[in-house]
Amino acid sequence: MQKTITRRELLAAVAGAAALSACNVEKPVTPARVSVVRAPAYDQSVYDTVRRLLDEHQVNVRGKHVVLKPNLVEFEVESNINTNPILVHAALEAFRARGAASVRIAEGPGHRRNTLDLAEAAGYFKTVPQFEDLFTDLNLDDVSRMNPPRQFSRMKKLYLPNTALGADLLVSMPKMKTHHWVGATLSMKNLFGVVPGGVYGWPKNVLHWAGIDESIADLHASFPRQFAIVDGIVGMQGNGPIQGVAKKVGVLVAGGDPVAVDATCCRIMRIDPFRIGYLRLASGGTGAQISEQNIQQTGESIASVATPFDLIPEFQSIRLENS
Amino acid sequence: MVIMPIEELVGKQNRDGGWPYVRGASWTEPTVYSVLALLAAGETEYARRGLRWIVRNERADGGWPAQAGIDQSIWVTALVALLPPEQLGQEAHRRAIAWLLGMTGEESTLTYRMREWLLGNARPADQEFAGWPWVPGTAAWVGPTSLAILALEKENSRRPQAEVRRRVEEGREFLMRRMCRDGGWNHGSVRAWGYESRPYPETTGQALAALRGVRTPEVEKALTVARRFLGECRSAEALNWLRLGLLAHEELPDGYCPPAGVTSRTLPDRSLEMLVSAVQKGSNLFWG
Repeated sequence: MQKTITRRELLAAVAGAAALSACNVEKPVTPARVSVVRAPAYDQSVYDTVRRLLDEHQVNVRGKHVVLKPNLVEFEVESNINTNPILVHAALEAFRARGAASVRIAEGPGHRRNTLDLAEAAGYFKTVPQFEDLFTDLNLDDVSRMNPPRQFSRMKKLYLPNTALGADLLVSMPKMKTHHWVGATLSMKNLFGVVPGGVYGWPKNVLHWAGIDESIADLHASFPRQFAIVDGIVGMQGNGPIQGVAKKVGVLVAGGDPVAVDATCCRIMRIDPFRIGYLRLASGGTGAQISEQNIQQTGESIASVATPFDLIPEFQSIRLENS
Repeated sequence: MVIMPIEELVGKQNRDGGWPYVRGASWTEPTVYSVLALLAAGETEYARRGLRWIVRNERADGGWPAQAGIDQSIWVTALVALLPPEQLGQEAHRRAIAWLLGMTGEESTLTYRMREWLLGNARPADQEFAGWPWVPGTAAWVGPTSLAILALEKENSRRPQAEVRRRVEEGREFLMRRMCRDGGWNHGSVRAWGYESRPYPETTGQALAALRGVRTPEVEKALTVARRFLGECRSAEALNWLRLGLLAHEELPDGYCPPAGVTSRTLPDRSLEMLVSAVQKGSNLFWG
């Protein structure tokens, strides 16, 4: 018996073929510039290094509102958990020097509610003049509802702090660390700190239930105007992001595309960026955006600064050598 | 630490009757703490304006949002339930208690447990008892569980009910399972990948306040940690909760005063400081 094709089956087949063909077509990726510069210590030289980084990227912030988002996690000052305040102060001065209308520092820690106490313990009050006037606790900031423009998680809506949403440029300034749930925490994961604890609690568990990797990708998509400066002078290896141990790398990694910046950091840490779920998601599934060939890297070569970060046993598979 | 004068608290009240965390729009948490602090001080006029803001922002499900306009009732409902019913309104208070009784961490829901059972996953020991989440649909944690216990325990002392008693007991079991190995509590994660986590002063104080009347060797261990934190800690929020936790067990050292140089950063810090000082003087706004 001859099988005839109904109109409905034909339409389904055409749609399926179109979808398959779309999957096979890799969109051309504009290479993102990522700088890797040596920064041996938290000292005065960091100020010049950051200025040069912004020059190199020709970051135009004249008349714009810039928000610096460091990573503040815990009180243990000696443990290298938090982004070093010297780096944040250097960025503050560098953005001011480039003519920014305002530069604020803002953060919303995930576990501890007493953000300013945490910042004080981390040395921010001592290092950054008038720190309290420049700082916004994103956990307690006024919020606006928004829908992630690209939805990777099941979160249909998010309330986000107005300080972060109103920034012309959001500068993610994480510490280069391993992470015991997602492998590595860098500029993209750092955006968990913009989710307001005042609405979602401490921890911001709603992001865990929605999928950590997916939530990171959602947040990344929610802030299209970003720059990343990763504190890799001393990072954290092992059981990061809290209980790991210091890892001296001696670099800053920076760029306007956080996906490319984080992929580069992973390679420096000897972690395979293709094994990091949120990087895969944010680069559109094909991974083109995190391919080395699509990253225009300047400064030090990865090979010259790469140093393997210790990983907990559960994450050995993401090691670059094991991929 | 300098206690904020009532006039200063009143001066921070927004025109809509609520209070911000620092500045800006009114939020439920600082508004409830401010109202409690004013009531503790016998100031009723501005407290009533605050109460009206709170009543206006009740949601249809009987819970409260973090801020006006946010379309979800969350953990701050426990704070609202701490308000005296005669001030909040009996019906609104009853609905707040009902909302709390209907809320558990997602891991304690029948749907979640059924799914885990079908997947062959054993129930972890720390998920045996139900606590409260920050936000519905997520897991239970130490902070919101402690606050819910405080509200329900207060309700139970006013109007004993078997269901309220049961949830308080279960919540306390939840807290005992979430205690860190060497005593005290953090946000509620005792270990990850086999690594033990460390306690925090503020959540240790909160949990101890919720465990008022419970004296076990584990609680003694937590009290030791709390006393140590009290000597080391320089955070106003943490010191407020530590003092309250130790007061709940009559373990706050006689004549204790917070160290000089500790700064209250937010309005809840400052209101809580007033409230804890009131408890120290015998006021019962926290546990009825």
